[in-house]
Amino acid sequence: MTRIFGVLGLVLVLYGALFASHDKAGEVGNLIDVANYQGQYGIITLGAALIIITGGIDLSIGSVVACGAVLFGVLMNRGVHPYLAVPVVVLFGACVGLVNGLLITRLRLQSFLVTLCGMFIFRGVARLLGDTVSMSRVAQAHPEFDGALRNIRYLLVGKSPTDGELLFPAQFVLLLVLAAVVGFFLHRTAYGRYWYAIGHSELAAKYAGVNVDRHRVVVYVACSSLAALVGVLLFLNSPSVQSDNAGLGWELYAILGAVLGGCSLKGGEGTAVGMVLGAMVLPIIESIVNFRGDKSDVIPAVVGVTLLIGTVVDELIRRRSRVHR
Amino acid sequence: MGATVSVFLRISVVAALAVVVACVPACGKKDPAAAGKIKIGVVTNCTADFWSICEAGANKAAAEHNVDLQFRQPEKAFDAKVQMEIVEAWAKQGLDGIAVSVIDPDGQTEDLTRIGKKVPLIAMDNDADKTGRKCYIGIDNYEGGKAAGRLVKKVLPDGGTVAIFIGSTKSANGKARVQGVLDELAGEKDAKGASGKHPQKADLDVKTYGKYHLVDGAAKEDGGPDNAQKTAGAVLARVKGMPNLCMVGLYAYNPPAILNDAKAKSMAKEIKIIGFDEDWETLKGIAAGEIEATVVQDPFAYGYESVKALATKNYDLKPIAYRVVTKDGDGTAAGPKVADFEADLRAKIEAGKKK
Repeated sequence: MTRIFGVLGLVLVLYGALFASHDKAGEVGNLIDVANYQGQYGIITLGAALIIITGGIDLSIGSVVACGAVLFGVLMNRGVHPYLAVPVVVLFGACVGLVNGLLITRLRLQSFLVTLCGMFIFRGVARLLGDTVSMSRVAQAHPEFDGALRNIRYLLVGKSPTDGELLFPAQFVLLLVLAAVVGFFLHRTAYGRYWYAIGHSELAAKYAGVNVDRHRVVVYVACSSLAALVGVLLFLNSPSVQSDNAGLGWELYAILGAVLGGCSLKGGEGTAVGMVLGAMVLPIIESIVNFRGDKSDVIPAVVGVTLLIGTVVDELIRRRSRVHR
Repeated sequence: MGATVSVFLRISVVAALAVVVACVPACGKKDPAAAGKIKIGVVTNCTADFWSICEAGANKAAAEHNVDLQFRQPEKAFDAKVQMEIVEAWAKQGLDGIAVSVIDPDGQTEDLTRIGKKVPLIAMDNDADKTGRKCYIGIDNYEGGKAAGRLVKKVLPDGGTVAIFIGSTKSANGKARVQGVLDELAGEKDAKGASGKHPQKADLDVKTYGKYHLVDGAAKEDGGPDNAQKTAGAVLARVKGMPNLCMVGLYAYNPPAILNDAKAKSMAKEIKIIGFDEDWETLKGIAAGEIEATVVQDPFAYGYESVKALATKNYDLKPIAYRVVTKDGDGTAAGPKVADFEADLRAKIEAGKKK
């Protein structure tokens, strides 16, 4: 609970800094914009956090996002209807997670190495599938898909079907729905208790009769499915998606969001509320630097320093709470 | 519980101070003198020396026209999403004008059209003519490409093997430059080239344009400066030892990347390099006789004219002419000597530095 207060404090302070950065930064339009990016990062954070809770790691998230986005565009360019292409892409993500999970559990390979290889493999696959994909290119190739694509964009991203204006933070709503599902499994079912147990001590969980391998495969499938879904969102929310740089480094954002939200990299800790709060941090910082008009050169440093401070503060809170326990 | 709340409160204060400290590098932006000024934003497609020259031009115009200028070179090269995030933030801040080097004109048309209805918008360097932008500031990239093609013909009059390197073949400027080079080599408009194997190297796929064989039949796209030398190196390794080689770099960072890798492979004397834009390393290479020539666009004028046009609301501009910089020059204004060109450029940048 103390850790949630910590990240909640950080989020509130950052919102305060955002409001102070520019007189228009606190307007509804910008807050919707920020919420939408929080939703996008938040969905991959949920997946990364589930894996971290079970004591693993997934470094292939960004590449799977890129693969999902490019595959979505390529499928529609080849005549697959958008309503069918969405579940196909999510299914592709599930297959990626299944392969990762089986390699880690059956061959006893380290999750770091398997997913590091996956990071390169799926970036390569994205490049092989296509270079640049976008809604406008799909509409040129298949004008009959334009209406359906705009409807899906409205539902999943919240952009106006007519001119692309962001009307409501649909991605954040989607994050809340998915976080509620994750929270239900984590905190209200035996699955969640098994995942925490595996993260605390895999051996103890095994002796207690938990099917460790099956549960670890399940969380990898969930993580990669969510990453592929975010690929669809990225496609719908971007003017165009390039296989070279789409989702580049996002696995680190997801892991950072999970850790800020209270997940321990040692496993066995984390809450759904913390994951959502942790994922909210980065988009606020990005909005602050955009509104302050900071010179491009200082942006990575400002983002890094703020996140580092957040992590240090979080660690201090944990130590203090241990002392007072 | 009381102890926990106390810790929480103390930590929150630390976090607040930390965020303030984190934001210190940009505190100069809260300049009271900026109040009442015209607010203009200029966003490029990547970070490069080319754009630093453009920034100097923009700063000069900003000083002359009482403009509060925001100039952004996105860290992530050629990412239309990142560029649109910056433009959207500026539109929300209520800037008085925005200039964009558009990365993906097709993909960005819908968003730029919507933003252009709220804020005066101009395209520079790379056009997006379907967005209703106020004007385009830049050279005719097709003609610039043809100029590069003429330079290839000059250094390899009897034909030879050519490789073309560029950051993006999707952007309007990328497409136009590549087609300009190929049309000039083929001697016809919209040249398609003939696919086949290289006559002296059977394992090399080429497309032939007139007397010139294009390696792999297409321009090599690198996606940004990070991959430029690697991309050039992969081609140089395959053509090493062949006669009559010419490498054409069509984005600012390409010619130095080609030269660096050629030096690493001891091939600098085996190949001819034709460049585009006025990267400092390219100019140094021309002065040293390692690069034959470069077609320059005048990024200083892009920055200067963009800010001036948005500040004065005068969008009726003459096109910017390209020039060809060589070691000795051709004695005309359109073909300056590298030493004179570099001295003039440094003087302009000095004049454009923020006081």
